Amino acid sequence: MKLISSLLLLVTISTSVAANENEKAEPWLERLATSLKTLNFSTSFVVVKNNQAEPYHWFHGVDESGNELEILSLLNGPRRDVLRKQNIVSYIEPELPPFSVTSHQISGPIPAVLREDITELAQSYDFISVGRSRVLGRPAQLIRIVSKDPHRYGHWLWLDQKTGMLLKLALVNRAGQLLEQIQFTHLDITASLGESLQQLQQTTLPKVIEIPEGYQEQILQWQVKWLPSGFVRRNANRHRIASTKKPVEFMLFNDGLVDVSVYVNPSEDSQRATDYVMDGATVVLNQVVNGFEVSVVGKIPALTAKTIADSVVLIPKVTP
Amino acid sequence: MSENKFETVSSIVDSYQPNDEVFEELLNDAHLSSTWQRYHLMGDVMRGETSDVINLDLSAQIASAIAEETTILAPRTSNNMANKFKAKVVLFAKPFGQMAIAASAAGLMVIGVQQNTANNDAIIPASQVVKTMPFGGVAEPVSLNFQQASRTSEKQAFVEQQRRFQALLSDHQQQIKLSSVDVNKTPKKDKAEESAK
Repeated sequence: MKLISSLLLLVTISTSVAANENEKAEPWLERLATSLKTLNFSTSFVVVKNNQAEPYHWFHGVDESGNELEILSLLNGPRRDVLRKQNIVSYIEPELPPFSVTSHQISGPIPAVLREDITELAQSYDFISVGRSRVLGRPAQLIRIVSKDPHRYGHWLWLDQKTGMLLKLALVNRAGQLLEQIQFTHLDITASLGESLQQLQQTTLPKVIEIPEGYQEQILQWQVKWLPSGFVRRNANRHRIASTKKPVEFMLFNDGLVDVSVYVNPSEDSQRATDYVMDGATVVLNQVVNGFEVSVVGKIPALTAKTIADSVVLIPKVTP
Repeated sequence: MSENKFETVSSIVDSYQPNDEVFEELLNDAHLSSTWQRYHLMGDVMRGETSDVINLDLSAQIASAIAEETTILAPRTSNNMANKFKAKVVLFAKPFGQMAIAASAAGLMVIGVQQNTANNDAIIPASQVVKTMPFGGVAEPVSLNFQQASRTSEKQAFVEQQRRFQALLSDHQQQIKLSSVDVNKTPKKDKAEESAK
């Protein structure tokens, strides 16, 4: 009898602890967002995928007038730099002449939403505080962003207990397999702007490109009938793929954390079996059905990509 | 006394560390210096480390050669500050200038993508695929040529496919950059606002 009661007690304690930790995840993520926006930091991280490591430098700071400055550079291979001055982001990459866009977030390996209000993710994801561990020589808190349905991957975040900064990020599938991870290798938080950011202050960024009004809201012939809940269309246009010059109908969807692109174009082949490759957690899926090629790209499971690709239909012409 | 000095030279040759005064004395005394040279030469001969031709006054030759050399004026150091400053400013301008080179290099860039189908060969740059991959390493009978040809086209299809995947992947990343324009708190609002504009 005693044993049963003590067992019961243990169970209640452990469940209450779990509940406590559940409550704690959101404040951690809010703290991360604040840290990413307000701290002057200089950090390095490595993106590990496909048995390869891509090293980056990342600087962020806020100047005297409250403007954010940010630099993200890939350190290996051809130069890829992203520079940001408050709401102008410049991309310097080998494929294109340098260009700027009006945006207050840079698009890189670290999801931009981590800087934002994460409650918008609550529709599709749960936030769970798991426990403590040691990362980058610091005590860290592990927070998991777990998909509510099986159509998405989970994001695991290790956050610095002292500063709330990101120390490690992992993309994990439902089975708990690691697909891609970002490991920080160095983190410096300073009171004033770093030297690189001071240089950025003096630098003139490339011209902001004008995106014609309505360009990203074009009416397309093809439509995606199925997407995991929470995905919203962010872009719909017709363009040519830079390297192949192939004209495509393009749609971009986003659930706050993950971007998914859908491409449709006529193909020389009449049928081609579904095929896909994985670049870390990013799947590139491609199939030809009845002379039309459908491709899906994004950090989603291959099965989700396949279901999305299969759901693409021609919008029926209005007939009386 | 003199005997003592020679002994000191000998012990220095044997890597004994004397104090600075003894060294100073050794350097100033031409006789002791030549003794130092001779002792080393003896050591070299005994260890068999001498070259075929022993040049006894090499140091003298070098000294005279240096004396004859015209003096090169060192650049003034006061300019260095300005140079440093300039280098810093140029640092960010440089990436733009490097675009042309980088663009040509881009053609060669292959992001490692792993093939998930049965055709799980190593990732090979397009130019190498056709000529290198051996088909099993065994000389195949002529009657199998047909199969070989189909395998080659399979390879080409594989390369074609890799190229297609690569193109999609980079276009996907490019479009994300362009779509993050005017981001608001929620994508839905963003959409509404854009149509309102």
